[in-house]
Amino acid sequence: MNEKTVLLMDSSAEGDAATKDFHDLFTNALRESDLAAQINLVRVRDIGIYNHGMVLKILPDGITYAGVEAADIRRIIGVTLKHGNRIQDLEYKPRARQLRLVLKNCGRIDPESIDDYIAADGYQALRKAVLENTPEQVIAEIKASGLRGRGGGGFPTGLKWDMTREVESVEKYVICNADEGDPGAYMDRSVLEGNPHSVIEGMLLAGYAVGATQGYFYIRAEYPLAIERVQRAIDQALDYGLVGDNILGTGFSLPLDIRLGAGAFVCGEETALIASIEGKRGTPSPRPPYPSVKGLWGSSTVINNVETLANVAPIILKGGAWFAQFGTEKSKGTKVFAVTGKVKNSGLVEVPMGTTLRDIVYEISGGIGGGGRLKAVQTGGPSGGVIPEKFLDTGVDYDNLQKLGSIMGSGGMIVMDENDCMVDIAKFYLKFCVDESCGKCSPCRIGGWQLLHILEDISEGRGRLEDLDRLQRIAKAMQKASLCGLGQTAGNPVLSTLKYFEDEFREHIVNHRCPAGKCTALLDFVIVKNKCKKCGLCARNCPEKAITGDREHGYAIDKSRCINCGMCFEACKFGAVERN
Amino acid sequence: MARIFPDDLGAIKQARLEKQGGFIRVGMSTCGIAAGAGRVYRVLEEEIKKRGSAIELRKCGCLGMCHAEPLVEVAVPGMPAVIYCRVDEDCAREIFRRHIEKHKILQDFVIEMQSEDAQ
Repeated sequence: MNEKTVLLMDSSAEGDAATKDFHDLFTNALRESDLAAQINLVRVRDIGIYNHGMVLKILPDGITYAGVEAADIRRIIGVTLKHGNRIQDLEYKPRARQLRLVLKNCGRIDPESIDDYIAADGYQALRKAVLENTPEQVIAEIKASGLRGRGGGGFPTGLKWDMTREVESVEKYVICNADEGDPGAYMDRSVLEGNPHSVIEGMLLAGYAVGATQGYFYIRAEYPLAIERVQRAIDQALDYGLVGDNILGTGFSLPLDIRLGAGAFVCGEETALIASIEGKRGTPSPRPPYPSVKGLWGSSTVINNVETLANVAPIILKGGAWFAQFGTEKSKGTKVFAVTGKVKNSGLVEVPMGTTLRDIVYEISGGIGGGGRLKAVQTGGPSGGVIPEKFLDTGVDYDNLQKLGSIMGSGGMIVMDENDCMVDIAKFYLKFCVDESCGKCSPCRIGGWQLLHILEDISEGRGRLEDLDRLQRIAKAMQKASLCGLGQTAGNPVLSTLKYFEDEFREHIVNHRCPAGKCTALLDFVIVKNKCKKCGLCARNCPEKAITGDREHGYAIDKSRCINCGMCFEACKFGAVERN
Repeated sequence: MARIFPDDLGAIKQARLEKQGGFIRVGMSTCGIAAGAGRVYRVLEEEIKKRGSAIELRKCGCLGMCHAEPLVEVAVPGMPAVIYCRVDEDCAREIFRRHIEKHKILQDFVIEMQSEDAQ
């Protein structure tokens, strides 16, 4: 059978009309040729390429054409469909595309079947390591790969393992940090749910390298499905003798267990995480001593993030040099980002380090949804910062993002448009950190609360210009004096929004105006008489009954009772409620 | 299951790959389930039973296109594997009737992902 499938979609137009028209044209052209019976034309919902005109993908050849015009149809039928030749000038050359290393098998294998994972070359890296390599060789390979911690800090993984290996300790632990808590980030959850064995294999390799005697998964309790799948995966691996005693008959042993986090963000910090596993209250303690020296129950411990561990097996299997070919000079490999916010296609994106923010947002995620304009991209969660539009051509890696006043973090990427207020964003992240602060050290406990209080004043029209200076002073003091990463970085969203969007803060303070229309206390709602259709929808939606009137005389907002919630603005179908 | 030894890994892989025929794969991570993948999976399960189909129904994790869940990948021998997006119960039945039984790919439901695997 010599059948071909042609997928087609207009990647520029909003509606499907253009795609339908083109589909009809193509069908007619096929009828005129003698190929109609062998070609399946399929209109596609989303072809994964954006703003490149009409896009065609021809299967099974895997040829992609972009910017196709109606005039090209006969050429495509004659050259490509009939004879299988490529048309150079139509071929689509992507500026950037996803490169899947960690997510390679996510969504392709059954996470509940160990055989599926083995069929995708799973546990081959473990086999290679325990049979052919010494632990030192495993560490050397990880060092050669240049892998850095994917949880946020970016500490070289090989070095961490080396430090742990060198410590003499009767008991030694390896911990997988799956306490993913950044708002909008869920990369680790997807890896644990989609390919749990890859993380288990990474842990076994880490355990082998550092000489661990026990491994723990620390998973937050908010991830019930991830917990269930990891537990099932551990049980299956135990049955096969891939976890536990005498792994693969080689004498290497590593039991694995799960410990659950109870919902505290600070427990993602390694010393607090260790305290939590020990059954103590999850508060951080000063470092040094680092966990590699004195960790869980006073023994040497290595803690790695889920994504870091998921990178390990491919590195051991294919070599550190292979891994180091991806990425930039100082940041090797790929990074998974959870792209959310005002972007058209929210989801997980895995790209080589060094891919620009612009390519991630526009080429891969389809640009801004709803026709808005991009204002900034937030990375690194509550410890990170915002990156304004003018720096969008920066390649993402650990060092570049730090230079811009943000951080790589665990991989949350929130895209913001003109309707997002930067004071509000700073307030949101600070509120998060204030809620999650454990309260042990005063710079974080008191500083965070003060910062939040000042931001609330600004967003409610009580701000003063001196506050801008005060915000910076407090945030910088917290950076220097806080005990752990949470407090040290809690001021980052404030500092970076101030750095790039000071005008917006001033607008709130001086003119009592929120340019994005987000800070409701600064807004004023009025019903415009000549647009009002007297339907009464606004009055019915008002939670404070502040809208008075009837269907005969029209409606008006009683300013003394209005709480500026904006429900009437959202409810009105005629644009008769105006926001000033 | 018995304990395995280094050489068994290859045999398990071989056995699994030989079993691989046509399949339907439903994305069943949190993002998929939240969008209704559980219902889609049950419908497909019923259809297979009702029609005595030999196609294998499988669960998988998240492909990354969370905005388009539930995602259902269909691979029928002799046809290119395609991924359907925003699949509901009706669409799942339609996939069965048209794609699996009549070998016709459904219009307006396919999603493509532009990515390559790190080789």
